[in-house]
Amino acid sequence: MIVPVGVVLGLSGVLFAIGAFGFLARRNIILMIVSIEVMLNAVNLSLAGFSRHLEDPRGQILALFVIAVAAAEAGVGLGLIIALNRNKPGASVADLNELKG
Amino acid sequence: MTLLVAQAAFYYMAAASVASALLAVTRRNPVHSMLWVLALFLHVAGIFLLLDAEFLAAVQVVVYAGAILVFYLFVLMLLDLPGEEARPRFGAHWPLAVAGALGFAAVIWLAQFEMPTVAEAGLATATAGLEAAESSPLGSVRDVGHELFGPFALPFEMASLVLLAAIVGAVVLARRRTKS
Repeated sequence: MIVPVGVVLGLSGVLFAIGAFGFLARRNIILMIVSIEVMLNAVNLSLAGFSRHLEDPRGQILALFVIAVAAAEAGVGLGLIIALNRNKPGASVADLNELKG
Repeated sequence: MTLLVAQAAFYYMAAASVASALLAVTRRNPVHSMLWVLALFLHVAGIFLLLDAEFLAAVQVVVYAGAILVFYLFVLMLLDLPGEEARPRFGAHWPLAVAGALGFAAVIWLAQFEMPTVAEAGLATATAGLEAAESSPLGSVRDVGHELFGPFALPFEMASLVLLAAIVGAVVLARRRTKS
């Protein structure tokens, strides 16, 4: 392995933290979902690093399933955004306060 | 020498992916954010190549960068958000979000010290898998295929059902309601 597995995991952790920050801080709902994709990609990176470290292809299989579920999540999430945009134009979550007590 | 080149390539990809992820979550224009996410995905695909996950790198480029991200851009263009650039990018609670993200990073950083080595994990197949990979001409793509259509055949088929359910769900959600 060209670099220690800890370096790959550290990179994965940094990318996950950036994605978590984007999800928590952004107000645009599309960019919030894209931040989820960044987090999923960080997890895939750690799975590939473990797969290389343990010499076991099952880590890559798990990453492939993560990609499949991410594709499904993107389809349903964007369908929800289109339905939401039809009822209330705009993509800011700050406008969606009808259920606020 | 080749190891040095590979290490330099890895650290370049790592730095570039962190930079493009930071730019992606902070740009004001959503389309610019998407393009930085595209740069992030391509650099992560490069890291997959360096980690000997060739098939994963190909799937990353074809499915993530090629299909999912284009889908996001498509919806972004469809919604047409002209006033988006004038609005604040972050909610008022963004320092809390920074604290939460740093907390996550700290937990992951601490967790890696608890990680077992290959010997401690007790993987008897580890060395056998390595020899098989070296002897097979296709390398890890063949291993991934054998796993995917062998022990993981049922989960693989279930993934197609998940995708079918997502397709039907997306069509039902995005469809215009017609009064019958």
